[in-house]
Amino acid sequence: MNSGIAGIFTDEHKVVEAARTVRQTFNSVEAISPYPLHGMEDALQIPRSCIPYVTFVGGLVGMFTGLFITIWTSAYDWPINVGGKPYVSLPAFIPIVFELTILFGALSSVVALAWFCRIPKLNPPIIDPDLSSHKFALFIPTSDKSFNAEQAENLLRQVGALEVKKVSEY
Amino acid sequence: MQEQSTESAPENRPEKIERDTNYWLSLEHYAQDPEFLKLGSQEFASSPLKEGEENAIERRDFLKLMGASIALASTGCLRRPVQKVVPYNKQPEEVTLGVPNYYTSSYSDGVESLGLLIKTREGRPIKVEGNPEHPNNKGAVSISAQASILNLYDPDRLNGPRKNLWNEKRTNKDTVTPKWDAMDDEISAQLKKGSVVILSSSISSPSLRSIVSEFSQGFAAKHLVWDAHSNDQLIRARKMCFGAETLPVYQIDKAKLILSIDADFLATFLTPMAFSKQFSKGRREIEKMSRLVSFDSTFSLTGANADLRYRIKPSQQLDVVMAIFSELEKQHKVVVPAALKNTLDEYRNRISQLNMDGKIFAEIAKDLWENRGQSIVMAGGIATQTEFSEGLFCAVNCLNSILGNEGKTILERPAVASSSFADIKALITSMTAGKVKTLILHKVNPIYHLPESFGFAEALKKVDMVVSTADRIDETSQYANYIIPDNHPLEAWGDSESLEGVISLQQPSIRPLYDSRAFALSLMNWGFIAKMGPKRLLAYETYYDYLRNYWKEDVLPKVAKGQNFDDFWAQALQKGFVGSSRATAGKNSAKLEMLSHYKASESVGPELVLYPTVMMGDGSQTNISWLHELPDPVTKITWDNYASVSIAFAKKNSLSEGDVIELDVNGKKLELPTHIQPGLHDEVIAVAVGYGRTKVGRVANNVGRNSYSLVSDQGIFSGQKVTIKKTSRKEKLANPQGNQSMEGRQIVVEATVAEYQKKKSANIHRHHTWSIWPGQEYNGNKWGMSVDLNSCTGCNACVVSCQSENNIPVVGKKYVLEGREMAWIRIDRYYTGTPDNPEVVFQPVMCQQCSNAPCETVCPVLATVHTDDGLNAMVYNRCVGTRYCSNNCPYKVRRFNWFAWNKKIEAPLNMALNPEVTVRIRGVMEKCTFCVQRIKTVKNTARLENRKIKDGEIKTACQVVCPTDAIVFGDMNDPNSAVSALFKDERAYALLEEWHAAPSVRYLSKIRNNGEEKRHSNSEEHV
Amino acid sequence: MIKRKQLVLGNKTLVDITNDICEPVESIPKKGWITLFLGAKTLMIFYFGIIGYILANGIGLLGVNHPIAWGTMIVTFVFWIGIGHAGTLISAILFLFRQKWRTSVARTAEAMTVFAVMTAGLFPLLHTGRPWLDFWLFPYPNQRGPLWVNFRSPLLWDVFAVSTYATVSIVFWYIGMVPDFATLKDRAKNKIRKIVYGALSLGWRGTARNWSHYEMVYLLLAGLSTPLVLSVHTIVSFDFAVSNLPGWHTTIFPPYFVAGAIFSGFAMVITLMTCVRIGFPKFKDYITIDHMEVMNKIIMTTGLMVGYAYTSEFFIAWYSGNVYERYVFVNRALGTYGWCYWAMVSCNVLLPQIFWFKKARRSLTTMFIISIFVNIGMWFERFVITVTSLHHDFLPSSWGNYAWSFFDGCILFGSFGMFLTLFLGYLRVFPAISIAEIKTVMHVGKDGGHS
Repeated sequence: MNSGIAGIFTDEHKVVEAARTVRQTFNSVEAISPYPLHGMEDALQIPRSCIPYVTFVGGLVGMFTGLFITIWTSAYDWPINVGGKPYVSLPAFIPIVFELTILFGALSSVVALAWFCRIPKLNPPIIDPDLSSHKFALFIPTSDKSFNAEQAENLLRQVGALEVKKVSEY
Repeated sequence: MQEQSTESAPENRPEKIERDTNYWLSLEHYAQDPEFLKLGSQEFASSPLKEGEENAIERRDFLKLMGASIALASTGCLRRPVQKVVPYNKQPEEVTLGVPNYYTSSYSDGVESLGLLIKTREGRPIKVEGNPEHPNNKGAVSISAQASILNLYDPDRLNGPRKNLWNEKRTNKDTVTPKWDAMDDEISAQLKKGSVVILSSSISSPSLRSIVSEFSQGFAAKHLVWDAHSNDQLIRARKMCFGAETLPVYQIDKAKLILSIDADFLATFLTPMAFSKQFSKGRREIEKMSRLVSFDSTFSLTGANADLRYRIKPSQQLDVVMAIFSELEKQHKVVVPAALKNTLDEYRNRISQLNMDGKIFAEIAKDLWENRGQSIVMAGGIATQTEFSEGLFCAVNCLNSILGNEGKTILERPAVASSSFADIKALITSMTAGKVKTLILHKVNPIYHLPESFGFAEALKKVDMVVSTADRIDETSQYANYIIPDNHPLEAWGDSESLEGVISLQQPSIRPLYDSRAFALSLMNWGFIAKMGPKRLLAYETYYDYLRNYWKEDVLPKVAKGQNFDDFWAQALQKGFVGSSRATAGKNSAKLEMLSHYKASESVGPELVLYPTVMMGDGSQTNISWLHELPDPVTKITWDNYASVSIAFAKKNSLSEGDVIELDVNGKKLELPTHIQPGLHDEVIAVAVGYGRTKVGRVANNVGRNSYSLVSDQGIFSGQKVTIKKTSRKEKLANPQGNQSMEGRQIVVEATVAEYQKKKSANIHRHHTWSIWPGQEYNGNKWGMSVDLNSCTGCNACVVSCQSENNIPVVGKKYVLEGREMAWIRIDRYYTGTPDNPEVVFQPVMCQQCSNAPCETVCPVLATVHTDDGLNAMVYNRCVGTRYCSNNCPYKVRRFNWFAWNKKIEAPLNMALNPEVTVRIRGVMEKCTFCVQRIKTVKNTARLENRKIKDGEIKTACQVVCPTDAIVFGDMNDPNSAVSALFKDERAYALLEEWHAAPSVRYLSKIRNNGEEKRHSNSEEHV
Repeated sequence: MIKRKQLVLGNKTLVDITNDICEPVESIPKKGWITLFLGAKTLMIFYFGIIGYILANGIGLLGVNHPIAWGTMIVTFVFWIGIGHAGTLISAILFLFRQKWRTSVARTAEAMTVFAVMTAGLFPLLHTGRPWLDFWLFPYPNQRGPLWVNFRSPLLWDVFAVSTYATVSIVFWYIGMVPDFATLKDRAKNKIRKIVYGALSLGWRGTARNWSHYEMVYLLLAGLSTPLVLSVHTIVSFDFAVSNLPGWHTTIFPPYFVAGAIFSGFAMVITLMTCVRIGFPKFKDYITIDHMEVMNKIIMTTGLMVGYAYTSEFFIAWYSGNVYERYVFVNRALGTYGWCYWAMVSCNVLLPQIFWFKKARRSLTTMFIISIFVNIGMWFERFVITVTSLHHDFLPSSWGNYAWSFFDGCILFGSFGMFLTLFLGYLRVFPAISIAEIKTVMHVGKDGGHS
């Protein structure tokens, strides 16, 4: 992973403002917060998540799986007279199809989440343990094109970071 | 030990040998080395088989192979029976593993003897069915005969002779197993001392009768015949009226009008199987169907099937007949002698007290007169054993003869009046006086059947030696010095004659399970040892030889003069009987005068009626779980007897179902739970006999109460005054039927003859049903069944047959109460009309094999699916037991194994299981499958002979025993099959048709010939 | 503009919130909790003992018989499944409707859902004749030639519905907890806690990008759970509605069952929440009386819906003109089990009407008592549907009564042991309120706070 410089904030509104300004100079800025912050996405110009497409595909797969197992097993692999019903009793298969659609949709989106968030992750770096409680942080990675240590530091101080620390690895 | 050898038979015996049906012979043969040659020569002499080289070889390997199990075979008996069994069909048939063999035999309860087919598998009987060719029962078979198979395998049977070790007080019950020889010596020595009495129930076997009489000659012994339920009064009355001791032989199919006064001829009176057959025959053609009028003091099966049923109390039986007489006289049909006139006048006043509409008698009298010569008036059974019974029977005889029925619809057969209660009293006194040195008890249980006041038990202790042939240490035999268990009918040779002229053979279908010995052989042995008795008694070593010889000398000349005996014998064995009915026309000469001295007498207050049930009979064969779990045909209650009272009576004495009341019959007390029975006379307390055995076995001990204790010292069963005292206790009665009324639903459809004549499908509400699916195709066979509710008498024979065929477990009273009974076919009994005096309809309900089976759709694991021949299959080993199918079954015919019932089957009862039907494990659903195993068997034979299955070739278990042929099974896809004809019958309807499960069972509506125009329809509410 | 009620009382700072919510997880349990937990645990152990005994001897130990082949197990199954609906409903549907007040109760409601579904899930497995073969209900390729399951059977739909529902609601619940686990990990003093919560938190870091994906997935799951939660009880109702038994074969069942489920679910939430408020006084600021009041309103509404269903059933029975249908409903009200029916009506329809009064809605004792009665009533509802319909069906000859036994009682009460054990454990191991989420709504209703 890459190292960089982090600024710690305690005020929800300040950090969003700060993020907006910092973003103008550095484009791969990352914000860390104990809960989702309003306006942080557009402050950091994060694109809309693409997970819905995954969910849609997952759902479709689920649906077709459902249709396949119901129809294939009861009409092709083992056609048998059950209560005088036709082999393909479609109306009776709908619940199965529906449930599988939901199941696949839900699970696929969770898998997608894990993928995009790179979790599960063993002992993730911690800038400050309170970041999961009541503090907020902005992080400028060294990998950023226009990265410049003291410029970054100053900028963070300007926008009101209470404390600025070098982060070896984040 | 014995059973091992029979069990092991299938494995270690090669087919070839199995074919040799004379392995009976060989077995004994080997066991009896010294007599080897003699027996051998005998065997050949008496063999219907052509003696051939291969036969001999077979026997030799056979002996080698059998060595092991021979070692187990018991020895020690002086002489053991050695005989030959010949299968039913023409050629001595090969026994192949997995293929059942049917042997003819017969079953007799003393009065009725039935021709049987014993189904055996690998040499063990597994089912009792009727012999369709036998003139007595034509394939019908009674419940007790079917259940006798469990009696054979009863774990509580004695496995050999027993000797009681007495202390001086004769109370010590220690028993030891004696040596046969020593025992026989001791007994015959004792017999020599004289004053021997043989007390037996009536013996229907001619050969045994002659043995007994020869034995009695030899030892100057007295033979007393005594039955708990005897017809001696009936017989004596016929002697008084017609001059000869006879029993009536009713031709019920020839009668247009049957009037029964407490004669339960469809259940227990004389020969119910034959009667049921004739009865249904006489009603099959509805335009010409007979009418049954019943005056009932219990709610008997006959009453339940009557077109017109009137409730009376026992003391009114005679009044009824007299009422009819006086009506006939009033209508100037008969001229009665002056003497009788006055008597009749007395009865006229009594009629008013019958609290019935007097018109009834006018109509019945009219009806009888119009049908003179083709009507029957009958009375009998223990319900008619009142102080007036002699008068009753004479009156009935007179009525029949003035109507000219005697000789037309009523033939007769010679019968010996068994000894009366007076004779028994005499015997007891002489026993107490020590005048009886030896008492031989055969098929009697006086201590159970006689009220204590007779003091039989005490008297018994005064007898030097008591020998009993009971198959267990029962109430009486516990006081015997020696118990020499008689063979079970299925183990033993014998013959029987009920219809004059028709003599049935009883051939064993299995080697005796235990170390038992035929009663006949015992008598012969004792005679032989004591060197007393006529030559014939001593000449033969085995009862079998005696039997053959008896048939040669006495039977052959009677029925088939001049025929070669060996052919005759083989034929007899194959057919199971010889001869044809020689029931003769009676004299029809009753004198009316005789009636005049039967004066009317006042009777007020509740009276006791004792009645036998189809299950228990006289209680002699009760250690059989099937019989106890079998619901009473009318009350539907299992596992108990009870005091039935009418609704009004219950109200008056504030009794509710199950209240324990104490009956007091002239000082004789008995506590019984109350059952409130619609349609009883308000002054009647009806109690079933045959319950309350105390020493019969683990199944039946202390089930119900022994109501024989209420019989009066004069041997009066019914009509005794009874007072009741309500106790604080309550006992649950296990009634598997939930509700007694049809709640106005179209379940059993009834119509009167009048309605039927207007519209054949009267009262059947047809529904317009349709489906969005075309439904599945059935190109091969499609099995269907039709049940004629007009024939079905609700006798329960099918239920037992199903139980026996399909290994259906018995669950016991506790679980019946919890609604866990397992019967695959049940007979629903509904009351219709007014609660006080309702009519009864019966409906056998089995799985309806619906084409749109609701049970199948809901089974998650496809454990119940449809076969291509239209059966609703049940796959036990796939069933997980969600029980959804049962919930979704509109007919509630599915049964669930709530517990591991199969684990409860105790050896040797497991030998009665049908190997063709899976024994179900715990947690699976089960149900009727139209006896799929029988269908498969026939299908296979048809395929082997590559031909189509003939219509009627497949018979389901319920169908094959049905005494009224109400059940017809066959292929609905075959337009010419009997069943598809019945499906087209206008009386045919499907149960719950509107639910469109499309059942493969059709019911034919019940028709009542009660002269009414319209019957209170049960389906008017129905939409 | 209407002034919004405060969702979080007592001017909490972010730190306070974190501390308040983490406290039960980080502090040593008090007497009250311990006694409760031990009691529940004992009951659960007894429960499993009884189940073992039934497995060994046969389902016949319960009152099930002919004609009533389904009894306590199925009744109690439907009862718990019903309760298992409020959670997802609150967290999913109310989330979609942007009902901010849901935040503080969602977590616990979801936990309740998961545990209720777990408790319920046991019954269909145990009530079969041969539970060790239950896996046959799953369509798995096997060696027995083509041998599959019957997809036409409502029971199979059940298998799919319930297992899907269990999976999705657990996932939903867990995803919601991930950030809080991170919080707990960061606060953890000792090593084990760090490891355990670290593992549970899946190494969540809470970067802005993660949060945006996270919120999206949460929304998606909510969107998927909504039809799912409705479908589950619909399908449970199919177990009855698809059969042909009068009293079961009814088209109104799906909505009727769903309404009933929400009804009982909320009642259970109220029961639990009143206790939680007593057990953890600090939570009073988060689960305020206003929250309770809103839920009581829902209880009253759904109660009325259920009442409507009861009446319309009777109307339709009469209107259908079908003798069997008519009989069943008359029998339901006046037959052997009439008392169950009236117990049900009074508990579910009459009693909740007290919530028309604001005082009652806001009185903890009242709502607690009512919620208990509602749950009793809802159990009876299922009993009435299952047993009374079965005990008098088509052919009067096969009518019968339920043979209620000692074991039925044990099964019913034992299941509470299992549920409570799980729930009490949860209160001490998981943050009972969503720390991350509550912080987003802490300012709602406050001056200057945006809403």
